[in-house]
Parts: sequence; structure tokens; C-alpha cells
Amino acid sequence: MRNTLEVMVEGIWRQGEGNLAVRLTAPDGAALPGWSPGAHIDVHLPGGLVRQYSLTGNPASRRGYLICVARDPDSRGGSRYIHESLRPGQRLTISTPRNLFPLEKADRVVLMAAGIGITPLYAMARRLEDAGVPFTLHYYVRHPEQAAFRYQLGHPFRFGDCTIYHSSAGESPRHALPEALTRPATGTRLYLCGPDGFMDHVRQSALTRGWSPENIHSEAFQPPAPSAPASSDNAFTVTLASTGQRWPVAADQTIARVLLDNGIDVPLSCEMGICGACLTPVTEGTVDHRDSVQSAAEKSGPRQQVALCCSRSLTENLTISLAP
Amino acid sequence: MKAHRPTPPAHCSFDPEDWLRLARCWHPVARACDVDNKPHKAVLLDEPLVLYRINGQAVVARDVCPHRGVPLTLGFHDEAGIICPYHGLRFGEDGRCNRIPASPDQPIPAKLNLMTFPVEERYGLVWTCLAPDTDNPAPLPTMPRWHDAAFQQINCPPFDVNGFAGRQVEGFLDVAHFAWVHSATFADPDNSQVPDYSPQETDYGFTADYWSTVSNYPSGAEDRAPPDFRWLRRFEMHLPFTATLTVHFPGEDRLVIMNAASPVSARKTRMFAPIARNFDLHIPVGEVHAFNLRVFEEDRLMVETQRPEKLPLDLTLEAHIPADRSSIAYRRGLKKMGFGEFFLV
Repeated sequence: MRNTLEVMVEGIWRQGEGNLAVRLTAPDGAALPGWSPGAHIDVHLPGGLVRQYSLTGNPASRRGYLICVARDPDSRGGSRYIHESLRPGQRLTISTPRNLFPLEKADRVVLMAAGIGITPLYAMARRLEDAGVPFTLHYYVRHPEQAAFRYQLGHPFRFGDCTIYHSSAGESPRHALPEALTRPATGTRLYLCGPDGFMDHVRQSALTRGWSPENIHSEAFQPPAPSAPASSDNAFTVTLASTGQRWPVAADQTIARVLLDNGIDVPLSCEMGICGACLTPVTEGTVDHRDSVQSAAEKSGPRQQVALCCSRSLTENLTISLAP
Repeated sequence: MKAHRPTPPAHCSFDPEDWLRLARCWHPVARACDVDNKPHKAVLLDEPLVLYRINGQAVVARDVCPHRGVPLTLGFHDEAGIICPYHGLRFGEDGRCNRIPASPDQPIPAKLNLMTFPVEERYGLVWTCLAPDTDNPAPLPTMPRWHDAAFQQINCPPFDVNGFAGRQVEGFLDVAHFAWVHSATFADPDNSQVPDYSPQETDYGFTADYWSTVSNYPSGAEDRAPPDFRWLRRFEMHLPFTATLTVHFPGEDRLVIMNAASPVSARKTRMFAPIARNFDLHIPVGEVHAFNLRVFEEDRLMVETQRPEKLPLDLTLEAHIPADRSSIAYRRGLKKMGFGEFFLV
């Protein structure tokens, strides 16, 4: 079980258009557990919502944790609550920091962020500066006003350079990839954070320029990780991508049970979401992950897999590529 | 090191693709204290090796004289190297031939040098890598506390198991077998329930923090733990075959055991066990060896009789219970490294 902490909202302030920075401290002012750039915390919000946010700011600071949350028009409740209801002085439960996106040893580092994906990479830039590791930070936003940490990033670094690109000025990642990406080297690592489309594009561009996949690191920053509220035990349909066959899954049935009842062979072992034997690729729909075998990175990654023995669907239909 | 194309040895017991993946990793082949200037025999991934030391430097090479193929482990040594018993060719630093008795005045062609492998000495062990990937070198496993001045270093004699290294390592990670297999040495037969724990993925494999009330004092010894003491066992799995366990005793007392399984073949494993601890320093090292040998012996029958001998990476092929979270993480980790669906032939 992950340890949880009680924290207090010490301050909330605007950090570029549409973003709020939130500083969390221990209610008694005690030091919080240390963290390293790339780490995230689970924030428990009213209504049973649990959302993951990367820690940002200066990783050496013990004054509390800083997160920065973009207002998401398609919010399923997390960013809307933080933007509309969260107040200074309020208490929250969070998890201790956990890092699935750590900085690895490198001679040089290229950081590429889009939108609110800046949060872990800004912390990485601060750490690299402190450690004297040369880096370049490339930050893509639509308009200049949307950049978070614009003031801090505008100050010169001794070991790094920061460039902010504005797609409203034609500097989208599709048109303005940094020169740094054209020079892969064994000791150079690339860290990406932003929407899936951005990360896929940059990753593909880097690979075609000769980057080794091992030197490219990324973490999706918009995990579709719901905390399984009881209300999501809704009926949905499951579709086999290969044949198009489609069956309803009632609230009290598992996907595996429905498939077996219809003569489809399901690779089952533990039947409680711990072993991963029944993990099956998803081609359409959003998984309501209930298993405990996949890591948070896998559950929020671009290639989704569903544990058929226990997980459900957040969308009305889930299409899976399981052999009939 | 001489560059060469990695090729699975003749009569290789591994799937060739799995062999190549394993050959890119570091494996221990001997205790450093067991390697001196005499030729020392070891087998790694079905490849017979000769180990020797010259001017303090350990050399690991294929156990084949490049002249007529006689194993150098049949030979002997002098101050300048190891000598092939067939024609007296002698090999010294970096495996270089430095004498051809039959034609002493002729320059020595490079082809007469031994085929050597890179060497690292760490945790009292000699580690080697049969097919290093220079673009993406494999990391050597790390051991907590070994270099800590307050800690004593102990290296148990190697322990041979007639089983696959993956099965042996999975047993080391298994927290549910203590009460059944180790109750004569340290575990409690009446305390078999496994508290929940959850492994965390790392770049080298995973860690698992396991808190339990099962003591780690030898059975029969005075239990010095305060009542209700919870023992933290931190496992660090370095894929593919090396794990460390740090047992947190009361106070600042710590015991670190490395289980470094060397895959001799797909069916034979030589287990090395460096130990670091900062308490009971008065207990003779011989007793520590004997105690650990008893624990390893308790595991032997299980590991040697498990079927299939290989480790099924397809998780549907065996049943799993919540206590197996580390075993599951281990198999998932090996699968991510690309090993075969049904690991090892």
C-alpha cells in the first residue's frame, strides 16, 4: 500500500493562462518526504477522485510540494475541482511521491515539454542546473501567455538554455523541432512530457534521426487513472477487434466471464488482477483499470492493456484485440 | 579485450536468442579469493572459461588454447602466465601469448592470444560478460552497504544447484515459502500469512518492501527484537539473475544478502552469496557460512524438483496468489527484456 500524507493548501496562484500552481505543506510545518524530478503524487479530491500530478519547482526545496494544474475543458472532475473549488488552508490527502520518470545519468540532456507537460521537466531543469549537467529545455505552448514558470525560465541558466515556442506564431513541434534533436549521442538523453500526439511525434522524429530508444524517456501527464468509484460499475459493451463481435457486460459481470460465456478463450490465471495473464491490448475506448499488476506508467501510457478478469470501461464500448 | 562475434557455444542448452540476451549481461563466475595465478575453471552459459590472475589482474578467457584447442584448465602456471599442457604455449596479461617454446624467436601472431572477456571485481566476486554491447552496456548489479566501513564482508562458498537460475532467484524473492521451508533455520511455522506488499519498477528491475512479523534471528537463538517488532525486508531485483535482500533488524542493525545466480547452463546454477552486516561481528565467519549453507540446502529440493525446469513467462501457465507479486514482477521484467515466452529450453 502506498503511504498517504495529510497536507494543507498553502497557496494557489496563476501560473500562466489557464494554469494554477498549488503549494502543499504539512499542516504542522514539518518537512515532507524528499523527492526527485519526475516524481508524482496522487491527490485525493472530494467525491473519491484521485488524480496524479507531477511535482515541480525546485527539488532541493523543503518548503513543501508544488504542483501545477492546467484547466482541462474535458475535465472528468479533477482539474475542474482544483480550478473552481480548492482554497488555501484546505486539507488534502496525498500519496508520498513516487518516481516512474527519473533522470538517468547523462552527459547532456534534452528536455521537451508541451503545455502543462512542463511540470516534471521544469524540476528536471532545476536539478540539472544544480548538478552542472548541460541541458536544453524546449517548451511548446500555443500562446506566450500560456507558458507556466515563464519568469523563472526567462532567467539565464549557467548550464542550460531554455527556448519557448509558440504554435500561434507557427512554431509548432511539427514545424520547429530543435536542432538538439538532430544530434543523437550515446551520453545524451531525451525527456518528453506533453500530450500523446506531441510525444509520439517527437519520439518518432528522434528515432528517425538515429536516437536509441533507450535514451528517450517519457511519461504521459494526463493519466486516465480513475480510482474506481462505485458509480462506474456501469454496463458497457466489449467488442472483439478481429471479428467485430460485440457483447454487453453487465454491472455484475467481468469482461472475462462474458467472453467465456460466449465461447471465447480467455488467458486467465489469478482472476484477481495481480498476475497480468489476461492483459489484452485495447484499440478503442478508455479502460477503468482495476488491476494491481500494471504500473501507473503502464496504466497511463499510450498503449493501453486491459486486465479482463477485473477491469471495466469508462466508455460505452471497449474494443480489444483478443484472438477469437 | 579482443573483439569477436558473440556465438552461442556448441551444445548450448539455451534458446540461441535468449543466450544472446543473457550474454550481454554481467554474471559472477568465481569468488575473487578463489582466483590466483593457477588456471581456475568456470562455466558460464555453457561456455567453459579459464580464470587466472597475473600481476593482481584477473583474466577471464575461453578455456580453449587457440593453437590446438586443449583446455588451459588442464595446464599449470609459472610467474609469467598459464601454460597449455600440449605444446607449452604460455598466456599472460590480457590473455596475450608470451611464449611459443617450439619457435622461440618468431614474433607472436595475434591469433595466438586467448579469447578474453571483460572483468569486473565487485562484492568479492569476479564478474564477466560474454557479449558486451558497447553501445548500450549492461549495468553491473549493486549491493547496499558492502563498501560501508561499519559493515563486515563475508562471502559464502559458491552453492551449486541442479536447476535453472530463474527458478532459483524467484525462490529467493518468494516470501510465502519461509514458514514451510525455512522453519528449521529462522522462520516461524505458525506465521505463514503473507502481508500485502507491492513491488515498484526501477530501471534495473524492481524493489519490494515487505513488512512482516517473521523474525530473522536463527531458530533457537535468543530473540532480541522488541515485542510487535515489524521486520522490513527490502528486496532489490537486478534483472536477470541477481537480487539483494536487506533485512532491517531492531535499531540500526542491518543484514544484506546478495543472491547472485550464475547460469552455468539452462539446468545448472552456481549461486554466489556475498553478505554484509554490522552486528554480531564476533560470530566466526565459518558459522555464518554454515548457517547460510543450511538455508540454501533447505531450498535445494524445491528448486531442483520444480517442473517445468524453466520459468514460464507466460503467466497463464502457472497459478498465482497475492503473495507472488514479486514473482509476477520478476517474470514481467524478464519478458520486457525480450526473453522467450517459455524461458529457456
